[in-house]
Amino acid sequence: MSDKAVPSSAKASAAHHNASRVTRHALPYFPGCALKDQARGFEDSARAAMAALGYELAELPRWNCCGTVYSLATDDLMRHLGPVRNLVRVQDLGETRLVTLCAMCYNTLARSSRFVGADPERLERINAFMDDEADYRGGVEVVHLLELLRDEVTFEAIEAKVERPLDGLKVAPYYGCMLLRPREVGIDDPDSPGVLEALLSALGAEPVDFPQKAECCGAYQTVSSPEIARARVGEIVSAARWAGAELIATSCPLCTYNLEHHQVEREERETRHASPVTRHEIPILYFTQLLALALGVSEDKLGFAGLKFDPRPLLSDRELV
Amino acid sequence: MAEELKLVRGYPEYMRKSIERVEASRPRRLEEGPPPGMSLEEREELLKKYHPDYAPGGKRPLVAGPNKGEVAPNEVADLLEAYPLLEPGELELKVDFDVDILILGGGLAGTMAAIWAHEQGVPPDRILLATKLRHGDSNSIMAQGGTQAADKPYDSPTIHFLDAMGGGHFTNKPDVLKALVEDAPFIVKWLTELGCLFDRDENGEFVEEWGGGTSRPRMHAARDYTGMEELRVIRDEFRSRGFGLLEFYPAVELLTDPKGRVAGAVLWNMETDEYKVVRAKAVVLATGGFGRLHIRGFPTTNHYGATADGLVLAYRAGALLRDLDTVQYHPTGAAYPQQIVGLLITEKVRGLGAQVVNRDGEAFVFPLEPRDVEAAAIIRECYDRENCLVTPTGLRGVWLDSPMIEEIHGEGTIERRLPAMFRMYQRFGIDMRRDPILVFPTLHYQNGGVETDPWGRTNVEGLFVAGEVTGGVHGKNRLMGNSTLDCLVFGRRAGIAAAEYVKGKKAPQTVTLDHLKGFVEELRAAGVPEERRSPMLLPDYRGKRVLARMIDLL
Amino acid sequence: MPEIMDRIKEANRAVTTGIDDSAVKHWVTVYIMGKGYRVPADITIMQAMEYAGYRFVRGAGCRAGFCGACATVYRTAGDWRLKTALACQTRVEDGMFLVQIPFTPAEKPAYDIEEEPADGTPLLKYFPEVARCVACNTCTKACPQDLEVMDYIQAALRGDLAAVAELSFDCIQCGLCAMRCPAEITHYHVAQLARRLYGRTLPVPKHVLDRVEEIESGKYEDEFEKLLSMSREELEELYRKEQREKGGLNSRDASRVTRNGQGER
Repeated sequence: MSDKAVPSSAKASAAHHNASRVTRHALPYFPGCALKDQARGFEDSARAAMAALGYELAELPRWNCCGTVYSLATDDLMRHLGPVRNLVRVQDLGETRLVTLCAMCYNTLARSSRFVGADPERLERINAFMDDEADYRGGVEVVHLLELLRDEVTFEAIEAKVERPLDGLKVAPYYGCMLLRPREVGIDDPDSPGVLEALLSALGAEPVDFPQKAECCGAYQTVSSPEIARARVGEIVSAARWAGAELIATSCPLCTYNLEHHQVEREERETRHASPVTRHEIPILYFTQLLALALGVSEDKLGFAGLKFDPRPLLSDRELV
Repeated sequence: MAEELKLVRGYPEYMRKSIERVEASRPRRLEEGPPPGMSLEEREELLKKYHPDYAPGGKRPLVAGPNKGEVAPNEVADLLEAYPLLEPGELELKVDFDVDILILGGGLAGTMAAIWAHEQGVPPDRILLATKLRHGDSNSIMAQGGTQAADKPYDSPTIHFLDAMGGGHFTNKPDVLKALVEDAPFIVKWLTELGCLFDRDENGEFVEEWGGGTSRPRMHAARDYTGMEELRVIRDEFRSRGFGLLEFYPAVELLTDPKGRVAGAVLWNMETDEYKVVRAKAVVLATGGFGRLHIRGFPTTNHYGATADGLVLAYRAGALLRDLDTVQYHPTGAAYPQQIVGLLITEKVRGLGAQVVNRDGEAFVFPLEPRDVEAAAIIRECYDRENCLVTPTGLRGVWLDSPMIEEIHGEGTIERRLPAMFRMYQRFGIDMRRDPILVFPTLHYQNGGVETDPWGRTNVEGLFVAGEVTGGVHGKNRLMGNSTLDCLVFGRRAGIAAAEYVKGKKAPQTVTLDHLKGFVEELRAAGVPEERRSPMLLPDYRGKRVLARMIDLL
Repeated sequence: MPEIMDRIKEANRAVTTGIDDSAVKHWVTVYIMGKGYRVPADITIMQAMEYAGYRFVRGAGCRAGFCGACATVYRTAGDWRLKTALACQTRVEDGMFLVQIPFTPAEKPAYDIEEEPADGTPLLKYFPEVARCVACNTCTKACPQDLEVMDYIQAALRGDLAAVAELSFDCIQCGLCAMRCPAEITHYHVAQLARRLYGRTLPVPKHVLDRVEEIESGKYEDEFEKLLSMSREELEELYRKEQREKGGLNSRDASRVTRNGQGER
């Protein structure tokens, strides 16, 4: 906004910009809208867990929606403005890396970064449009927290810091789509991922393998064709249950929403015909909640209150809370 | 393009020397504090010599109407003693809109009246609000400083009462003033519950400020957008409730029934010239004041539409006016740059510690004297002692040393507490955090108006009034923070009273303009020139050159 | 004295009655809806239009930057940018091509604020189009108040009422953002609802509630009765005593102004 008559000095922005100053040792962090709303527990537990590991997730002072769904139209640069603008914010801080938690945000930001950043012509066009910002030079790396834990913090180091091993807890790691596909931005092998399993093992839990761990939860079909999401969730949850899972771990607020909501509907429909011994629902947790729990973070910072199915009876049964 | 005057940070180079003197004396002035206030005798003497109200030649006794013989400013008298735009009998008065309550004016008072008439059970589709410009176009939306309400433990409505009495030179109508101060805390509570955001400190407590003439800090502000915040909240509420609304439809005459009761109005579509007849069981007049009449040739802080229309209409319908002889000049209007001459520099600037200083950097007056006294002192400094600056267009002014605010309250205070002011000067290249601003008194407020009781009732049946169009509550001089309050309190009360009045009443059988006949005869008898017409509706600022060559062909 | 008033009147004549250009030295040319007019250089767009012969019905309001009636878009020679301004708050520039946008069609949904949850959910319920924001920032560029409009729409999207309230507070609802938005959002209506919802999260301070109750219970009636029965002289004396004792700003205790300028005592 350098070309404005009045620079963005209006007090509002000043206060806004100073909300959280990113320090050199902190990790520039993009929360995404869901983590400020229905998935607060995801962010709270991640912050607490990272603090226990000696890292600070420093929220970008200004950020906007990631764009939610990555645009596949290659000539539609308008759809890349949102994600790229966030990358400009990182660049403005003099940083080169952006950490994300939400799988959807990760996917959109990482793909936009590659799509725009790797092509000088696109970069020029998008910069010409965004004349209100400093030119984006490309090169901001979008990192998912799981990558950071695996490659930089390392699972060995995490294991060493575990204070409350999740002994015997059977957890089904659910990847969904956005962490793995397309391959260029996938954080792991899209056919046979293992990063969540490795993390869970480091925490002392027992990862439960099941064939649907990388299948789609139904995503936004939940709005227009809920029956599709319902069918997907039915398969995913049944498979995890058959495999012996007591909990499902995710990295995506949308997956979590679907797994929670359609699981209930399914249970409700099933129980009309089922035996009186009905099964209780499987709690859906963010992986960061398990991480924080194992690292000894106090219960009030785990964000369990926002979950539809309370894992606490199970966890207290195992003397974990 | 000819070469322009050289500006240094927004000011002509020749003013810079004086600014340096202001800067030089600032540390001493900060240390010493402002000069002492005047005694009552000193004030009296100053006012008599330098206040525009006291200078001869500005007023005359009215020759017609209910207040015949009482004095009013010439510019106001010209409109009160004027023939209607419509001749009685000229129009077919076929009813277009039939409502219970017609509200004229879309500022705080009119909007409140609609909401509170609705609260009393009048259906929203039986209430019509008509306004000359857009809903919200009003002086209300421009109110910067705040709204008074005695709601802190150290304060009380009786102290508020006494402050306002003193400010009004003990000429206020006591029962009306009592209503104003007693309703104030309720109004603040109600607005807050509607989601109005008054300034709060970090603990969530209201920040309440001093104003000139208040013995306790009780000013509730919303940055320096107080009136705008109040108005946009209640306008949003209004829009959610589904009232009738006509914009760009000023009333050009009230209608009466054969018994002389007010029974509606003739509205005029300013864009198509079509007229509409509204029949109503009651009319709430909330049309605001007369700032755009430029009394005595002063610039004004007022809205484009502040042309005294309601005053004129009510007077013709037989309403008694009062306290029209005094006019409020705000001591600090912008005197430079030319583009913003006359615009309001809120009293809050002085409330936050800025002093008024002359060309040589000397503080010559206590900064928070009552408005009339402060204004007179500045006029004296500019036109008698001549310790002033003269702008490139020949205007005179003295400095308001705004950078003192940052010195006293810390950096960032101006942007935080006075964003509108800061923004305005920034637009013209002036940084008021760093440089002082040039000020001169400006026409601000119509102290008097249609006489009313505590419920907005007038001596004319069916006619209710609220806001600046009324007279009595402020006496002969209003205090800061009591005008938005006036609109909110009496808009509500007039709405309630009108709702009660219309309950069970039948619509008037016939609506007429007959009340004009006697008035017009009186004007003719007094020899008022035929071409003098009112209401004015809009001021005219068109260039002289183009006016000279204008012809009306269509 | 009358001569002082005459001199004031004379000095302000251009401001109070319209510009007489005999003394104007500096001129510029502006194009109002494509038609060129030579106007004095030192005036606002609004004053220039009036000088040129326009008498506003729409397009002029408070004339002081508070009401949003005079939203204007313009271009200047040699610049592809579409700029925005408030006509009353912007000086004319040579070669300015301008038009006013005095009205923005925009539906404001009806709601009962007391029935709405005081959180972010009503924003997307009433304004689902907020989710169409692609962060193009055109709204921010269009804002004549220089607000970070896109940022507050983004804050609305994630339900952060406090941030919307803070960032949108100085909005004068001129509508230029809404006219420029490719997602067809009516930003200023979104912000209005957000501010009211945010206000609903802040309790009415207890001292206000207490005072309202005291007044309703008639606590001050006796005192008022006394005041209302006093003669003018008695009132004057009481007023002077109060002002002296309590040291209001009119008192001679001038230092109070600086020390008590902020907050209560």
